[in-house]
Amino acid sequence: MQVHLHTTLQRRTPEGLQRRVEIALPPVSTLADLLERLAIPPDREAILLVINGRTADPGQALNEGDEIHLIPAISGGAPSDRNPPGISSA
Amino acid sequence: MQIWRVNAREQSLKQEPVPEGWDRLGGRGLLARVLLDEVPATCDPLGRHNRLVVTPGLLVGHMLSSCDRVSFGGKSPMTRGVKEANAGGSTGLQMTHLGIKALIIEDQPADPDRAGASWWVLHLSLAGARFEPADDLAGVGVFDTAARLLTQYGDKVAIALIGPAGELGLTAAGIQNLDKDKVPSRIAARGGLGAVMGSKRLKAIVFDAKGGQKPPIADPGAFKQAQKLFTKNLMDHPQTAVYRDFGTPAMTRICDGFGGLPTRNFSSGRFEGVERISGETLREVLLTRGGESEPTHACMAGCTIQCSNTFGGEDGAAIVSPIEYETVGLMGSNLGIDSLDMIARMNREVNDLGLDTIDMGAALGVAAEAGLMAFGDGARALALLAEVRKGTPLGRILGHGAAMTGRVLGVRRVPTVKGQAMSAYEPRAIKGTGVTYVTSPQGADHTAGNTVRAKVDHLDPKVQAALSRTAQISMAGYDTLGACIFAGFGFAVAPEVIPHLLNARYGWSVGGEILQELGRETLKLEREFNRRAGFTAADDRIPEWMREEALPPCNSVFDVAEEDLDGVFNW
Repeated sequence: MQVHLHTTLQRRTPEGLQRRVEIALPPVSTLADLLERLAIPPDREAILLVINGRTADPGQALNEGDEIHLIPAISGGAPSDRNPPGISSA
Repeated sequence: MQIWRVNAREQSLKQEPVPEGWDRLGGRGLLARVLLDEVPATCDPLGRHNRLVVTPGLLVGHMLSSCDRVSFGGKSPMTRGVKEANAGGSTGLQMTHLGIKALIIEDQPADPDRAGASWWVLHLSLAGARFEPADDLAGVGVFDTAARLLTQYGDKVAIALIGPAGELGLTAAGIQNLDKDKVPSRIAARGGLGAVMGSKRLKAIVFDAKGGQKPPIADPGAFKQAQKLFTKNLMDHPQTAVYRDFGTPAMTRICDGFGGLPTRNFSSGRFEGVERISGETLREVLLTRGGESEPTHACMAGCTIQCSNTFGGEDGAAIVSPIEYETVGLMGSNLGIDSLDMIARMNREVNDLGLDTIDMGAALGVAAEAGLMAFGDGARALALLAEVRKGTPLGRILGHGAAMTGRVLGVRRVPTVKGQAMSAYEPRAIKGTGVTYVTSPQGADHTAGNTVRAKVDHLDPKVQAALSRTAQISMAGYDTLGACIFAGFGFAVAPEVIPHLLNARYGWSVGGEILQELGRETLKLEREFNRRAGFTAADDRIPEWMREEALPPCNSVFDVAEEDLDGVFNW
């Protein structure tokens, strides 16, 4: 499956910064397994997980051909007045 | 603090005490209050009864990080409703140092549209107001105009100015402000306020705060303590590091990942050239080029986030500062253009004309759909922008934005609400932001309440109205404080900092819900202005084609129920 690493999650390699990696996982793997493989802490508050265009949970099962985006440091959790979502803009 | 009331016909200034009811507000909230109290909602936006209002936010004046924004407003010639557009830079700070809580520019010279009618620079200082002839600046681009004014008035002043587009009354014209490095690139861009300023025959407003001082603070000790906590929270927030290194263009790959990056006139949510225009690539390019290029740059003095950037060419010499995600989306992927250099050149041209890159990018996308340019042809896009500078009929049509361009060219796929172009979040993929586009009193505008960061399924239509409501209330609150939306990261960690700052600054005793209270009041005032202007629920609708044409790759339509849209403001 193809994993897109965003901004500060890009990997420094001898060939330069890497922001897209192909990874094969055993069948019945989850997003949490993938994070473990990449040594990225599964902090729900610090990282946004997107599978095939949809926001996902660490427990979500992965399938062959999935496109995964790992997006760091996204602020705001469940929408509430005290923790405003949607803060981003030009 | 005072209200400074300038009459553009009599060329006079009255300095008045702040009326009761206005004192608790600032920025966007005060603007809505002034418009409702003083501007007939049915007036001609470019006629003598409209007013150009400039209001620093409640927390402006103390170089509190990311909190020195200034709001510009009036009745919009683009949406024909209430309009507020805010900007960073130095204007807000200098206004507060002159003691100005709101600048209200009334009326216009007699027969402002006659050939040869004069242009003026309005100069404001502790000595009052002067109108100085500016006919020599007519037709001059924003960059040259700013340089000439800085030579004339000294480099300590703040300036708000318009370009040739504002002079022509084009409804995509904005008002530009100097950043902390004197570059006129902090733009109150949306909704045509540059045309309103042009209708007053003002080429520029110069704010010279020499001899002025910071606004008074009721409890300096408490203010300092709250400021310290806020700055620490902001510095410690991981989001701050992302924005410092990558700026708003970090959003390019994120939106593409959601299938929500506007591509070729909003016909796809994914762009095959995304890697070449991403924030990650931008950072690499700027670090490699060096010279004046910098991936990290502050637009306001005292900002600890520094999300701005300076884009230099291959020789490192600055082309434009900053390149923002919205411009990358609307003038890059939306036009099928995958070159950051080309986007930078277009961005510079649009800035120099004094236009909004969002509405111009959307207008060019519509023009491409009509066959006036091929998608991906940046040279042709620049040639079309040159038509605006020449003032040709085609250039003027484009300069009125996407809605006008679509109407004239017979294109039905036009991404606008209330006549204003959507920004770089596809509403069929990021549906909460779509709800904001549709229901905001401002017209389509992501800054009114963007939901892309919420951890929800952005395709699920059922959760979007509540999400948009929360975001719209918060944003109207932040816009009233004068806080940059990124200051919100710091405030969200410890929301009590907001009442602490306000109470220390003003001697008030507001509670923990003040951000939401200010937000709700602002939205209520804005909606009332629009109601008086003739807006109904029928104006809070997405273009029909977006409900019917599925957007690849998620193959989704905008399917938020109309009753949900109509209930957004029922809190």
